[in-house]
Amino acid sequence: MPDLLSVLTSLAWPFAIAVAWLAGEFGQRWTGLPRISFYGLVGFALASSQIGVLPAPDAGAVSLLADVAFGLILVELGYRINLRWLRINPWIGVAGLAEALLTFAAVYFIAAAFGIAQITALMLAALSMATSPATVVRVINEQRSSGQVTERVLHLSAQNSVLAVFAFNAIIGFWIFRTSEDLGDAVWNSLVVLAMSAFTGAVFGMAVPALLQAIRNPSQDATVAFALAVILLVAICATGGLSPVVSTLAFGLAARHRRVAFSQAQRNFGALGELLTVLLFVFAASTLAWDKVVAGGTLALILVAARLVTKTLGVTAFSHLSGVSWRKGAFTGLALAPLSVFVILLVEHARQSGVAAVEELQSMAGVTMLLEVFGPIVIQRALVWAREAPEQRHAA
Amino acid sequence: MPLERFAQSQPLTFGVELELQLVSLSDFNLAAASPDLLHLLGRKPFPGNVTPEITESMIEINSSVQSSYLPLLTELLDIRSTLVAAGDRLNIGICGGGTHPFQHWSEQKIFAKPRFQYLSSLYGYLAKQFTVFGQHVHIGCGNGDDALYLLHALSRYIPHFIALSASSPFVQGHDSLFDSARLNSVFAFPMSGRAPFMLTWDEFADVYFAKMERTGIINSMKDFYWDIRPKPEYGTIELRVCDTPLTVERAAALAAYLQALCRHLLERSEEPPAEDDYLVYNYNRFQACRFGLEGSVTHPKTYETVSLREDILATLAKVEPHAEALGSMEALRHLAASTAAGSDASFLRRQYERQGSTEGMVNAAIQRFRGERRVG
Repeated sequence: MPDLLSVLTSLAWPFAIAVAWLAGEFGQRWTGLPRISFYGLVGFALASSQIGVLPAPDAGAVSLLADVAFGLILVELGYRINLRWLRINPWIGVAGLAEALLTFAAVYFIAAAFGIAQITALMLAALSMATSPATVVRVINEQRSSGQVTERVLHLSAQNSVLAVFAFNAIIGFWIFRTSEDLGDAVWNSLVVLAMSAFTGAVFGMAVPALLQAIRNPSQDATVAFALAVILLVAICATGGLSPVVSTLAFGLAARHRRVAFSQAQRNFGALGELLTVLLFVFAASTLAWDKVVAGGTLALILVAARLVTKTLGVTAFSHLSGVSWRKGAFTGLALAPLSVFVILLVEHARQSGVAAVEELQSMAGVTMLLEVFGPIVIQRALVWAREAPEQRHAA
Repeated sequence: MPLERFAQSQPLTFGVELELQLVSLSDFNLAAASPDLLHLLGRKPFPGNVTPEITESMIEINSSVQSSYLPLLTELLDIRSTLVAAGDRLNIGICGGGTHPFQHWSEQKIFAKPRFQYLSSLYGYLAKQFTVFGQHVHIGCGNGDDALYLLHALSRYIPHFIALSASSPFVQGHDSLFDSARLNSVFAFPMSGRAPFMLTWDEFADVYFAKMERTGIINSMKDFYWDIRPKPEYGTIELRVCDTPLTVERAAALAAYLQALCRHLLERSEEPPAEDDYLVYNYNRFQACRFGLEGSVTHPKTYETVSLREDILATLAKVEPHAEALGSMEALRHLAASTAAGSDASFLRRQYERQGSTEGMVNAAIQRFRGERRVG
């Protein structure tokens, strides 16, 4: 029997990914909803704490692959960020700050009102500021959307994710400082790590395009070179305790501003990216447990609703100043709803590196599960309503 | 509905229309950005006029009716600054060029307006393949007979305007080996090519147009995609063969050249146009599209073959007195210099060599449109 068990265990991930992919294809065809919503549902259903097909999440190969998948998406996002635009039109950045701070405040006060410990409420608030880049990039590419809502969601997602990483690490630093009185540790855990991560990513962003230019083929397919670099960078982050989010984002940003053009075929990093995306979304949802999702139920619903309101308000307020209609501003804010994959990976990292406080983030499980499924749907609707993506034709 | 009367306009007044590309600054592909750009531009008065085009990655601007070169150039420069500033606020790149070098027509979105949706369903992929960008120049005519005379007298000079404006060497990611590949897309339309040879407006309107309308194939002048066509409601003829140049300076110079040439032709000192002029028309046109300034053309009257570059320089010299009178000598000098320095098409090919990718080529075109000279 032990043989059969080990065979079943080694089949678990390939099986889950195949099922999720099929669910995504058929689900998308029948309902017109984004594929990644279905990946999330399958991952959640097959998780160790539900049906139990998948093993409990640990720091193994799958977790690292999920980081690579997320890294590929972040490089693509970084590559699409135009810092010059944010300088010329500062109201976009201001709108991003406004929606993030509003969200932070709202989530903190709601959590506190529900009697959640201060440190947990702060972490919850920090994480809620983010918009998951994975969902945003995937849905935008799947819908082939383009326009101001699309552009702005990409830029704001990058901005508020960095803000969230910074705030989250600072709070963890603060927590370590308060519990172990080790100031060095606290500082190390926040600022230095972020700076080191950004620096490492930027070095990659300089080196890879330079290398490609040296071998004189910028018009050829650069997908493999970039993908290999991401794998290497994520591995370095895992070993060196750096933030893969910040470093891969910095990689993409630096590469863009070196002006070596990615060709159209490399959206999503081709087939490699498609494959790893399935794994990423299945993995993310498989870390959630049903009992915890339900336990945080009411609070989760209220937090998701509050977050939708604060993000929409924050961005809409500056829409006229930043050069778009109120309508497009409101849809931009609404499209910032996705959260899950980003938060799950961040929390997993914190847990794996022994930050006990994240175990308290139970109320986050409900929020992430809700947004794992509904986040992609909300952004898809926002893009369709803003007439930046065509209404999907589907069988239903 | 019979063709309307040819409205009288001030002879030799002129105006320019330019179809421009809207480009993503991340991947340099065409981006469906016109609704956002038009929204932002709509907040302030626009110098000239701006309108949507059939796909959302294209806009059309036009100047007002002008009578001389300098005010036209000033207006176009104004329009350019306004567009560039709006593009900067919305992260949209704007550039000239007759084609986008690597866009795929299947990805273009058709602008939501009934006429565009109708054209799209009628022409199928031709409508999206029509994602090409041209400059149109209108010349005012005193009456319909003058308009038709000019239209046919200009046929011999059509290759000049093709070669001087050519800026569409790449299509769907590859060098087409044409300097103006755009015109090949236009030629795919059933109603493209030359206008029928008629020299009086009455014959054109009452015989030709009336017959065509009875066939049911066409409803209005808009259904003809001729190289030059009369526009009776404006009282103009419209030259449609030019690619949108990479700069508005070139666009203004081309318009001024046409104006001076028309002033010369209206003196009727040249042998009058004849149906047989069109024997060499398509081949000369092909030479200009394919080889640009390096092409050679056959004279419709003498059948002598000369290099297109020399023919242009000789004509520029010939119309100098008219340019003098119209105040557009600077425009002729600009064009003469460009015959030596090479067309926009050769600039784009050089950029492809230097930057190593079609994306780099689009980036260079964006900088060029902004008037930044550092990409040389």
